[in-house]
Amino acid sequence: MFENILFATTASPTCDNAAKVAFDLALKYDSKKLYVFHVLGVPSRGFSPFVKDLRTGETEQADSEYTEWVLEEMKNTYATLMEGMENCELKTRVGVPHAEILRMAREKDVDLIVMGAHTRQEELGATRYRDVTGRTMRKVAKAARCPVLIISRPCTTCFKLFSHIVFGTDFSKAADSAFLFAYQAAKDVGARLHLFHSFDIGSLRSGRVLSQAEIEEKVEEAKKKMEQKYVSKMGNFDNYEIEIWEGIPYVEILKFAREKQSDLIVMAHHTKEIDPEEAELGSTVEQVVLRSACPVASVNHPDKVSE
Amino acid sequence: MNRITLMRYGSILQDGKPVTSEPLMCLSSGVDLDEGYTLRSWFQMFEEYSVLTDLNPFLPTLMEQYSSCPKSGCLFDGVDHFEFRKIVEMIGFPGEPRLEIYNSFRGLKNHDELDPRSVRMEHTLDMPVLLGKLKHVVFGDKADIFEFETVYSLFEFIDGIAWELSFFGAPTQCEIGR
Repeated sequence: MFENILFATTASPTCDNAAKVAFDLALKYDSKKLYVFHVLGVPSRGFSPFVKDLRTGETEQADSEYTEWVLEEMKNTYATLMEGMENCELKTRVGVPHAEILRMAREKDVDLIVMGAHTRQEELGATRYRDVTGRTMRKVAKAARCPVLIISRPCTTCFKLFSHIVFGTDFSKAADSAFLFAYQAAKDVGARLHLFHSFDIGSLRSGRVLSQAEIEEKVEEAKKKMEQKYVSKMGNFDNYEIEIWEGIPYVEILKFAREKQSDLIVMAHHTKEIDPEEAELGSTVEQVVLRSACPVASVNHPDKVSE
Repeated sequence: MNRITLMRYGSILQDGKPVTSEPLMCLSSGVDLDEGYTLRSWFQMFEEYSVLTDLNPFLPTLMEQYSSCPKSGCLFDGVDHFEFRKIVEMIGFPGEPRLEIYNSFRGLKNHDELDPRSVRMEHTLDMPVLLGKLKHVVFGDKADIFEFETVYSLFEFIDGIAWELSFFGAPTQCEIGR
């Protein structure tokens, strides 16, 4: 399922949880290649040898000696995880992180990008008023042609042993690609696929209280859509269930995922019917990424998930 | 003046008398905590004044989780107490220089801090909660942090803790796929 994997890292403890998942995936799926990729910094001017380190803001001279030193550091950081892995390649580049990660993903035709939610360790309270998720992650998730697996907390289960995959949908076109990924993953690892939709009663009612009959009607409508859009594409696959809840979508998805002890949440990158090139990471995905105890896969394009 | 005391069994005292109606009027009041105040006391406050659960989208879910936890003995060896704080941070990089003010809720044991994300609710409810000092972080220097006495409003105390508790819930174990 994942022949080539790109693990984008800051080579700091912030990415440790993502590192474990990336190496585990490469090992279990016997991937051809795992690229461990770090962007050194942004060039200060034109062809200048100096780069601005993105974590410290310090200026560094990115010559071959410096690059070798960083590669050596990366090798030491991931020495334990790399043990016995011959298909792992360490790479560095100078440039703007999201652009370089996407360039590398395109060049190496990767099937999956694995990355952490943040490039620096944040206090939980501080995340509230800053960009909820890291800017690099958002930009990569927006433009990547392959699924992006975002890890913000330690993952207790290896991918092949995943037993519950939650697919959160708003029935948008982008969600169709996310569904394909969720379905393929569930089929591949024998996990139960939870097709989940939460309708936001707050935005529906426009100041008026919905009656129970109206809510039930909405639930039935959503169930029918699930059947038409997703179940019809699953053939003989019967290890699934449909759940429709009402409430604030990100709160309900997180609650549902916790209740089901979900191992993976799969969502579309953005949740509205807009041009993918214009889309920012949907607020629902962003809130879910931030709080989810399990990995979240953001899928934006059908390229790598079409059967 | 304009201060309230949050009691260990959930009630709010204003001028020595329990607030029986209109708890929303207390949101801007400065908070003092009763002796023996725990995280359970914080939840009991919402049982007593249910209107306060409307303040944060995660509070109804947290209350559901709370009601399924044991009624006592929810303790955790890893921390001595939880501390609610205010942080004023001057940031020079990345981005434009700016000043951010936010709340934080951390577990403390001696001088070590614990990220609440790694703990489950059923291990924390009977842990003491204290109000900490305001911490002033200058340009990312976490070694020399200035500390000041400060006041916390009831709104800060509810919303700040609710935000952090919404991150609770590390998975316990995996099941084997079929």
